[in-house]
Amino acid sequence: MATVTLKHIEKVYPNTGDKKKKHNLKVTDEGVVAVQDFNLDIADQEFIVLVGPSGCGKSTTLRMVAGLEDITRGELYIDGQLVNDVAPKDRDISMVFQNYALYPHMTVRQNMEFPLKLRKLPKEEIDKRVNHAAEILGITEYLNRKPKALSGGQRQRVAIGRAIVREPKVLLMDEPLSNLDAKLRNQMRAEILKLRKKINTTFIYVTHDQTEAMTLGDRIVIMKDGVIQQVGAPQEVYDNPVNIFVAGFIGVPQMNFYDGELKKDGSKYCVQVEDALIPLDESKNQHLLAQDIKPQEIVVGVRPEHISLENVPGRMIHGVADVSELMGASVHLHINAVGKDGIIIVPTLDLKQDAGFQPGQKIDFTFGGNVVHVFSKETGRNLEY
Amino acid sequence: MKQTKAKPSSGRTLKHSGFLTAIFAIISLTWISPLLIVLLNSFKRKAYIFKNPFGISTASIFDGFEKWMAGISKTFVGFLNYSNAIKKTDFWHSFGYSLFITVGSVLLIVICCSMCAWFITRVQTWWTKLIYVFCLFSMVVPFQMVMFTLSKFANMLHLSNPVGILVVYLGFGAGLAVFMFCGFVKSIPVEIEEAAMIDGCNPLQAYFLVVFPIMKPTVITVAILDAMWVWNDYLLPSLVLNVNKYRTIPIAVQYLKQSHGQIDWGAMMAVLVLAILPIIIFYIAAQKYIIKGVAAGAVKG
Ligand SMILES: Nc1ncnc2c1ncn2[C@@H]1O[C@H](COP(=O)(O)OP(=O)(O)OP(=O)(O)O)[C@@H](O)[C@H]1O
Ligand SMILES: [Mg+2]
Repeated sequence: MATVTLKHIEKVYPNTGDKKKKHNLKVTDEGVVAVQDFNLDIADQEFIVLVGPSGCGKSTTLRMVAGLEDITRGELYIDGQLVNDVAPKDRDISMVFQNYALYPHMTVRQNMEFPLKLRKLPKEEIDKRVNHAAEILGITEYLNRKPKALSGGQRQRVAIGRAIVREPKVLLMDEPLSNLDAKLRNQMRAEILKLRKKINTTFIYVTHDQTEAMTLGDRIVIMKDGVIQQVGAPQEVYDNPVNIFVAGFIGVPQMNFYDGELKKDGSKYCVQVEDALIPLDESKNQHLLAQDIKPQEIVVGVRPEHISLENVPGRMIHGVADVSELMGASVHLHINAVGKDGIIIVPTLDLKQDAGFQPGQKIDFTFGGNVVHVFSKETGRNLEY
Repeated sequence: MKQTKAKPSSGRTLKHSGFLTAIFAIISLTWISPLLIVLLNSFKRKAYIFKNPFGISTASIFDGFEKWMAGISKTFVGFLNYSNAIKKTDFWHSFGYSLFITVGSVLLIVICCSMCAWFITRVQTWWTKLIYVFCLFSMVVPFQMVMFTLSKFANMLHLSNPVGILVVYLGFGAGLAVFMFCGFVKSIPVEIEEAAMIDGCNPLQAYFLVVFPIMKPTVITVAILDAMWVWNDYLLPSLVLNVNKYRTIPIAVQYLKQSHGQIDWGAMMAVLVLAILPIIIFYIAAQKYIIKGVAAGAVKG
């Protein structure tokens, strides 16, 4: 029910004295910069996902929004109000933690009532809200148990319940599913999707799992070493990654990268990988032309699902099959080509009955000029943007 | 206890456990025999206590049953010693002082030390670390080393009354209590407190509504240990308190001995029983929490 705006937000942890540098964060005289110049406008009722590898500053950012961590520099607005110096309890936000953080001495009902009682709501209103939330989350039958007597999934539901009874302006979640096993995680993910349709709140969700990010987010924010790499809708980020990092981080299996060369013939660009020459399609060509990109050494990125085994003369890259994994609808074929390991997804339909791949078998593959991504070898930047 | 019972499935452990049971029975009887003897003698006539502390009759059982029974009734005087003792020691006043000092200092220690431990565990700066080190250090220093300077100091600060001595007990109890609470606070995930802050608690509410209830096992352990220590303590109150005005039970017992040329052993035994009784009742009532508290300290929970 509110917008959130982060303006040039920075977090600097003062140097703690230990000089061991196990991260790639920027270090200044002040200390370690965990979050750098973070700018983001979050719309009302939007579901934003912060995603990135471990230690990239996702939790730090979220905790600054929650008010659990001081903001070193920059401005944070919730619902148009500057809240840098507002205590967590007065920000009208709620938070779900990775380790549930339920109050162990209270029953599930007491846990969910707690924030409402502190706000001195009338008894009937409290009961109404708790029962409603319990119903949404399917925990009505556990209301009188202590958290100790619940499974991980149930506990996380209670934690979510405690967060939503308040009807907060912003609901923050820090890796709420990563303590659950894979199956439960998928199930809870679907439930969070459903939940979001039922309550009108702005969500900020932190995860290191790109699948969660892609399926849940309206927009996802990809971070690395305290810096935002890209912000965009999942499809947009998937189709147009701005650099090698984002390209590799989003999508499973990972995008394949091969060293190659960008060639220009008149106003036509094409990429060359070994002796395969693949012309770019019209829109990509236009993008490169618009920026007047010079022919240069590049890194070519292709997603495994975009590679085909169809024989197109002059465009084939030669590789050697390694192991293959049957995934049901498709086969993930590990292949070594151009001195790099990569993966090809071959739909099971395309396979002739018993054309299983043998390790060591020679495989030729290609890809279209419409799906290839062209990254500068020097900076890792996507040359189209 | 149920858990320590041997499994009946194995004959060897059964035989073993019978043997062990016998040994432990003997050991524990030996252990509580002084208490039993005090209890027994507290009902006996003064004169017989000293003559034969272990006997229950003036006559031997071999002199015939009639005589023996008569001897028993001559030996025992019922509650006479008790009423004597209560009168001579002004027992109820002493009981009041002991109760006040024990309850007061236990409350003070539990509240102040748990708060202090919470703070110095959660806020890590050089001076909170220093406080922690001081607390550890205070456990190492023997009481006898500081007792005379302490009593002087306490007098100077006008602490030689039942309220003042609470502060002194807080000081001496703080070391161990802070140490124990710190160990427990470290095992509480900090997210629980953060959740409380977000849910709308101010720091005091976060402490009393969330942190303190979670610390309950340690609170009870500390309370029991300190209650037993303070209730039974003789040396500290005798040094600090103005003993002409305020006599706790252990001091009253001591004065019973000094006030008359010859000691009234009957009253002495009776007042000893009266002194031990409350703490034993307290201990038995709280026993299951002690075991729980120690287990909770050992296994993070
Ligand atoms: N109290 C602190 N003092 C110093 N550095 C810190 C502190 N807390 C976090 N950091 C550093 O800040 C960086 C960002 O931490 P953060 O917890 O935000 O990472 P994250 O993206 O949430 O990672 P993860 O996925 O592992 O939770 C880390 O490199 C970490 O070492
Ligand atoms: Mg984190």
